[in-house]
Amino acid sequence: MKRKKFLALLLAVSMALSLAACGDDSGDASANSGGSSDGSSQSTQDTQEKQDTQDSQTPVAENATYTFNTSASTLPAGWNPHTYQTADDAVYFDYTTDSLYALFFNDQIHPLEGREAFDGYVVVPSMAADFPVDVTEKVKASHPQFNIPESATSGYAWSVKLRDDLKWDDGTPITAQDFVDSLERCLRPELLNYRSSDYNRGTYAVVNAENYALAGNPVFQSFADAGTTYADFIANGGTDDQVAVDMNGFWGVTGPDSRFNWGYITDDNMVRDPAVAEGEDEDYVSAKYLWDNYLGPDGAYAGSGYDSQYAGTISYPYEAGYSFDNVGLFVSGDNELTFVYANALEGFYLMTYGMSTQYLVKSDLYDANLKETESASGSVWSSTYGTGMDTSVSYGPYKMSEFQADKLMHFVRNENWWGWDSDVYTYVDPEDGNTYQMYQTTDVDIQYVKESATRKQMFLAGQLISYGLQSEDFDQYRTSDYYYATPAETIYFLLFNGHEKVIQERENAADFDKNTTDLEMQMLENFRRACAVAIDRENFAATVSPSRQGGYAFVGNTYIYDPETCAYYRDTPQAKQALVDFYSIDLANYDNDLDKAVDAITGYDPETAKAKFQEAYEEGIEKGYITDTDGDGKSDQTITMVYAMSDEVDDFFRKTFEYLNTSLNKAAEGTGLEGKILITPSAPVGNKWSDNLRNGVMDTQMAGWSGATLDPFGMADTWTDANKAYWGNWFDASKYDLTINLDGADITMSVRDWALCLNGAMKTAQDGKEYNFGYGQTSVDNRLNILAEIEKFMLTAYNCVPIMQNGSGSLLSQQVYYVVEEYNPMMKRGGIQYMKYNYNDAEWAEYVASQGGTLQY
Amino acid sequence: MVKYILQRMLYMIMVFFIITLMCFVLVRMLPLPVLPPDDPHTAVVLMRREALGYNEPYLAQFGLFLKNIFTNWDWGLSEKLYFGQNVWDIFVGKLPASMIVNLYSIIGSIPIGIGLGIFAALKKNTWIDYAISTLTMVVISVPSFVYAFLIQYIFCFKLQWFPFLMAGGTNYFTWKMFRSLIPPVMALSFGTIAGFARTTRAELTEVLTSEFMLLARTKGLTRTQATVSHALRNCFVVIVPAIFGEFIGILGGSLIIEGIFAIPGVGGLTLNAIKGLDYNIFMLSTCFYTAIGLAASLVVDVSYGFIDPRIRMGSKK
Repeated sequence: MKRKKFLALLLAVSMALSLAACGDDSGDASANSGGSSDGSSQSTQDTQEKQDTQDSQTPVAENATYTFNTSASTLPAGWNPHTYQTADDAVYFDYTTDSLYALFFNDQIHPLEGREAFDGYVVVPSMAADFPVDVTEKVKASHPQFNIPESATSGYAWSVKLRDDLKWDDGTPITAQDFVDSLERCLRPELLNYRSSDYNRGTYAVVNAENYALAGNPVFQSFADAGTTYADFIANGGTDDQVAVDMNGFWGVTGPDSRFNWGYITDDNMVRDPAVAEGEDEDYVSAKYLWDNYLGPDGAYAGSGYDSQYAGTISYPYEAGYSFDNVGLFVSGDNELTFVYANALEGFYLMTYGMSTQYLVKSDLYDANLKETESASGSVWSSTYGTGMDTSVSYGPYKMSEFQADKLMHFVRNENWWGWDSDVYTYVDPEDGNTYQMYQTTDVDIQYVKESATRKQMFLAGQLISYGLQSEDFDQYRTSDYYYATPAETIYFLLFNGHEKVIQERENAADFDKNTTDLEMQMLENFRRACAVAIDRENFAATVSPSRQGGYAFVGNTYIYDPETCAYYRDTPQAKQALVDFYSIDLANYDNDLDKAVDAITGYDPETAKAKFQEAYEEGIEKGYITDTDGDGKSDQTITMVYAMSDEVDDFFRKTFEYLNTSLNKAAEGTGLEGKILITPSAPVGNKWSDNLRNGVMDTQMAGWSGATLDPFGMADTWTDANKAYWGNWFDASKYDLTINLDGADITMSVRDWALCLNGAMKTAQDGKEYNFGYGQTSVDNRLNILAEIEKFMLTAYNCVPIMQNGSGSLLSQQVYYVVEEYNPMMKRGGIQYMKYNYNDAEWAEYVASQGGTLQY
Repeated sequence: MVKYILQRMLYMIMVFFIITLMCFVLVRMLPLPVLPPDDPHTAVVLMRREALGYNEPYLAQFGLFLKNIFTNWDWGLSEKLYFGQNVWDIFVGKLPASMIVNLYSIIGSIPIGIGLGIFAALKKNTWIDYAISTLTMVVISVPSFVYAFLIQYIFCFKLQWFPFLMAGGTNYFTWKMFRSLIPPVMALSFGTIAGFARTTRAELTEVLTSEFMLLARTKGLTRTQATVSHALRNCFVVIVPAIFGEFIGILGGSLIIEGIFAIPGVGGLTLNAIKGLDYNIFMLSTCFYTAIGLAASLVVDVSYGFIDPRIRMGSKK
């Protein structure tokens, strides 16, 4: 008995000790009020109106706090500006960093010619004391190591004077040398920083940054890029052991040396293809295998163009031990920096992208957090910079005051930020005409909240500033005064399979029943056109994803063609005319008003759909795609399109399939295809879905492209590039001629050449003349005309049907309001910078309590 | 007994290394994410993989893994989820939050569960027994995250008695923290209470109908005396190991409950490490739970001998 008591006592003591050891006194988190605790649960029935503007625009009250309470389903684990990888990690920068140049809404203080206040934006010096000065000629003479082209007179080198009151949050000054030291650390070869390529590659690369970051590394150069072929290479004395295959580009695997994407064609070391199940064909491949079977002279793709694109040679263009002194960022004077770029830059792009200095770190703290670790293959460097309170530093309006991993982040004002004592960060309120300091928010509190149900309850209890609506919320809140719809750039297209060879192979497979199923009908233009007008896009979006809206074009509503003036492509007459033409809208019915005509577009015409389905049926019978053996005027086969699923079918897809199948079959009622159209999901194929579409193995998807909000012209290249477009294997844009009238002259060239010309390539038209319609090479009007014509052409090609514009919807708390309600892709709605408060925290708590703890929206 | 324990510990160490090796090799065999060929970051990621030894033979990697642990107690750095951070610090930092929530849950659940079980057994075949048994079955059948949402909705949103989320900070023994933990503790406890109630009722019901209980009553013991001194002691042979098992579960955390109430614990860490291919985190948590599981089985086995003297471990007679 005693022994048992002793054991029990020992157990209890050990548990208590272990618990005591786990706790510490490292401080407590900020309050996370659960609302009033009086147990009252009644909710007011009175709808709260937005507060009177004059009352709400109270400047920061003495000692009052204005807390921006928000939530995140993923909190950053680290925010080292050199190594962060995701947008979740970048949230820290939103509050704690500054930039040389900032974007402000245009107002009386920051006017934009020809635009209403808050209708656009302007670039304003922030950490910079003034706008950049072009010093190309001077630097060309003084710094030959930057290799500025002899012919260049401007755009390559720019000097920027920094403000003299820049400080870190601990009060120590930020100097020009800090910028240079920070970029050096970001690019330092042995650190292998993920973000180094942001500054050493692409349009905005600092000159020679790539040479420094990749010093001593080999590079794959395809035969196509070198302007040669394998045969020519061998004929000119090259040997097989010099030839390599881009294994990642061609096959999606790393090279046998996994640091590199390529392998020599003599190398038969096998690497695992993770996309193929173990034991299946080609679960392991080698460079030699890919060469022998696909890209080599006896391979399946010999002469296809792929052989030149994915085969090439290896070179060592980056000199080992390259000096940072040759990299194009240096201190050029008292608190002055000079940037030298690999390409000429100017204006908006220079100041916003080219002079992005997010690499800025506090060097002593950064170095103290570097760690070298021994690994199986040597040593690797890691950094704990930006992983907690004591390893982080701010130079923006806020600084971190509390952090608990996967739990919360809290920020307070950084009193050492120069902007608080300056009139730069001020604006004129569009309602009352008064001037206010930006950033009324005093505290930012970010809580980890995983479940949307919890977020909604917290929002209704006044504990969050905003709530992103879920599908089930839209019916209730879509008409709320506090509802904000936010468009996104992606247009989703319903794709059609046109890969005739593969479709026929699929139909000839042993397990395919041609008597009941057809895959070929989707290749008919009549069928595609019928599908295009059989779907009520707005209703479709409202049904399957209420935050989105109908999509009608190839370029979405948020694309800006001129970032200097914030001009939208879809607002141009060219873009509107393209839609009016495609949807066969008679302008005369709309008083020749393009806006009215565009507004009237629905893309929904069930009568035309019916007629087109019948025409498709008759054409299908004639071509032998489908049969009608019993002579009832109906197809024997079900027209089937396999939807390429990356994952399991969820609620969104269930609704999508139900809606599309119902709509298409309803439109086909009374035709030979009545009840015979089926869109059906594939088994989940992960990230192979796009390959399956391109290869014709699967038929359809609602897919789209995102990104490049400021470059709608670049999208034309994507649509017409066989390597990028989903339809590249059966639609060759270089085989279709397009005539466009520019400056009174008709110019004819292939659609592909038009797209290339539009993006800066020199191409020869049918008139024998060479043209380049790239940025700065022709008038903006001409470029818009070309883009609109290409867009119209691609719409009429019916490789796909635009169906839905991406977007989201949210509720904004009654505690705050946006100074400007119109959404702007660059400025959003002004963010925390322009957010204003109807109530400070104390007033808000009182207000919420007075409403019974639950607010009505 | 001592020899038996030593023998079991030796086996434990062997099993631990076999499991660790298997997990290490299997997880390293998982396919790495395919990197986009057009992304300039791809080259950096590939170079880092090489530097981290991904291309070495598995046994060489495992050897380095063990060497770092035994020479420097270095479990490596997170390669994905907490890039560059020491995985031991991450894991240990998250353990207390999981432990505290589960400890409160068990401390509350044991007396309530056993009490309900005893009450039901004593009132066998009455409406009280039926009610407790039915409720127990219902509670066991419903997943804990369902309670979690209901508790959050009723007590946090509608009644506003508790905050929605666990309080921030690491000072776990304050009133504010305790109050914020009540909802997750409630969500975790329902199932445990029901489990204890069902086990206790079943065992006690059987014991109460034993002949020795009849003998005890005929010797003149009151019902309470007979139940407490004889019946309960007997059914604890089953209940106490179950309690030990629950205590071991303290360390495991609860993926879903932790997510709903924003508890920064270890619940989702292992799963996220597998999904994110963060090998070092996965290996640490695997080793930890393997060691705990093996130790738990030993403690439970040994505890039988202490609770019931008729059970003798390792005896050859």
